[in-house]
Amino acid sequence: MNGHAMRKFAFAIPFLLIVVPAEAKDTGLIYVSNEKSNNIIVLDPKTYKIVNDIKVSRRPRDMHFSADHTKLYIACGDEDVIDVLDVAKGEVTGKIATGSSPETFAIDEQHRRLYVSDEESSSLAIIDMDQGVILTQVPTGAEPEGVMASNDGKTVYVTSEVGNLVHVVDAAGGYVTDDIVVGTRPRRFTATPDGKELWVSTELSGEVYIIDREKLVVTGKIEFLPPGMRKSDVTPVGLTMTSDGKTAYVTLGHANNIAVVDVATRAVQGYILVGKRAWGATLSRDDKTLYVTDGLGDDLTVIDTASRKATISVPVGRTPWGVVIDE
Amino acid sequence: MSNRCFTLAALLLVSSLAVAAAQNAPSPPQPATPTQHIKIAFVQIDGDPRYEPLRGYTRTILKTPGHPFAGAEIGVDEAAPLTRLLNTDFTLDRISVKSPAEVAPAVLAAANAGTHFFLIDAPAQAYATLATALHGRNVLLFNVSAPDDSLRRDLCSAEMIHVYPSRAQLMDGLVQYLVSRKWSNLLVFEGPTPEDTAMAGTFSRSAQKFGAHVIANQHFKPGTDPRDREQNDPALLSAINRDFDIVFVADSDFDFVRSVPYHLVRPRPVVGSIDLEPVAWHWTWEHNGAPQVNSRFEKKSGGRHMEGPDWAAWVAVKMIVQSTLRTHSADFAEQRAFILGDNDFDGDKGLAVSVRPWDHQVRQAVLLAAPYEVTGSAPIEGFLHQTNELDTLGDDRPESQCHLDK
Repeated sequence: MNGHAMRKFAFAIPFLLIVVPAEAKDTGLIYVSNEKSNNIIVLDPKTYKIVNDIKVSRRPRDMHFSADHTKLYIACGDEDVIDVLDVAKGEVTGKIATGSSPETFAIDEQHRRLYVSDEESSSLAIIDMDQGVILTQVPTGAEPEGVMASNDGKTVYVTSEVGNLVHVVDAAGGYVTDDIVVGTRPRRFTATPDGKELWVSTELSGEVYIIDREKLVVTGKIEFLPPGMRKSDVTPVGLTMTSDGKTAYVTLGHANNIAVVDVATRAVQGYILVGKRAWGATLSRDDKTLYVTDGLGDDLTVIDTASRKATISVPVGRTPWGVVIDE
Repeated sequence: MSNRCFTLAALLLVSSLAVAAAQNAPSPPQPATPTQHIKIAFVQIDGDPRYEPLRGYTRTILKTPGHPFAGAEIGVDEAAPLTRLLNTDFTLDRISVKSPAEVAPAVLAAANAGTHFFLIDAPAQAYATLATALHGRNVLLFNVSAPDDSLRRDLCSAEMIHVYPSRAQLMDGLVQYLVSRKWSNLLVFEGPTPEDTAMAGTFSRSAQKFGAHVIANQHFKPGTDPRDREQNDPALLSAINRDFDIVFVADSDFDFVRSVPYHLVRPRPVVGSIDLEPVAWHWTWEHNGAPQVNSRFEKKSGGRHMEGPDWAAWVAVKMIVQSTLRTHSADFAEQRAFILGDNDFDGDKGLAVSVRPWDHQVRQAVLLAAPYEVTGSAPIEGFLHQTNELDTLGDDRPESQCHLDK
């Protein structure tokens, strides 16, 4: 989802399309955050060998590149900061203070804002990314998690895992305008490229909810059950969508599988077996490769999307959370 | 610092100007006064011995358990963001009485004054009069701290929901773990209190249920009298002519049991009242969102570790809140139907919790807690059930004596 959000952003602002190729290194390197070993592992995209092991603040989770890929922002939950990694140097060169226990975040580079879910303080922090100053803390339901900003930067969506809500936040005003009730323990977002639908994974009820972004109502939901699994094993968390908006991939947590969903019909087309507790999922820019972190297996599974087969699982670190690609 | 403040002020000014300039910008929603109020009463007994500090020698305090009120409080705090959406607020009243006998009259008085939901934090002896006094009334009484199987089996009250696990659930969870490790020859040390007897008896039944064997049941007698050494020395108590895989100790006083580890005649692990305990909750549980709950609880309680009764009080409030959210109603009949219906709740223990229709026991995972780590979570993989694996723990429908849904 991370890379995808970035791409959408790039499309939204033509100015950046010119800048990006000039500065991006396009290394294709794969960055994995490890919650328990407090590091970022960098993998070579061809050999899957570890090319760098970068020490960061404690409990790194969500990561996003700046649009020009010179910086990588990393939310570090146990030190209440977002680390700023200099991608070329491979070291942390700055820290942005957040609220208590940042988990996921969104970047709006046009307005120079970071939107951070602070899991322990039940709020969405709106941060000026240049000044490193928290401008507003928007109260949310308990355990806010998934954060997504609209392309125009006017609206931010944030889930509350305990409240079973999606909050719709007016980004400029810094307040909640709507609450949408979804399934139990809502986690993360993805959106259709046409901007019409918001998809939300609900971990405990084992579903993905689909929200009409215009009307702010739930218009459908998708259930999952890989062969041989029980409903209670199905705990969807990560989700991402191809750039043509035709196919979505949903990680199913303790069911150790990825679901492949046809977006138009909302039908599950198949399942791909990966490692233990499939968590974060990111597509390569060409949508040909899907990377999945296996939180309880300490590895990363690489999937060939054309054949829908896992090609390799590589050890990364303790409790891998998310993955982003430098491309 | 002042520079930073200035920047912040400037930024806020700029952003507020931007908002003011925008056409048709929505104004912040005004917090409306909710029109519906849901009252939850928490009933406890002053001086309840279960919450006395557990002492070692005179002033050495080993454990300081607390009333699970803070568990209920975090549940109510979590509901605050829903007030706007539901036009409903949730309030928590703490009712303290002097003895178990006063629980029923206090609940009756509050029920007459319009409260429907009660969290009962009382020992088993308070329940019989409570069941009689509230029979047929529009109330739900959530048991948040009494594990006694008799409340589920014999009392069998339609107004009660047992959120705290039954002793049968706890012991089934422990035995599943032992059997999964192939530790099936079990030696039992049973203490002198009625609670110890209940614990040891339930453990033996669980052993039978899952194919383990209690090879001997030794009664211990705390003390140092050399004439009683056969009963107060763990080495002599364990010096039997058969090998055993573990020793299970039933010691509700948490006294003798402290001398058992490392004092057995053979090098064997100790489970039950120490070392590996089956619990509803543990402060080191790190999955399913548990660290955040533990953190909220510790803040609320002034630094106490969250325990089983705290979890039960928290989940009871969550059930009430969810019933309001999902039914869009503050009507008690609808809320009760939702809670007792085939609905799942998030208990932060993996598998979703729900209420068993036959005896109103809450289905839930049992954590197997070592002092600094949750070693396992039951149901253990491999213990299967035709509908819900949580029903491998405790009284399943066929063996239950209580049939509230019939």
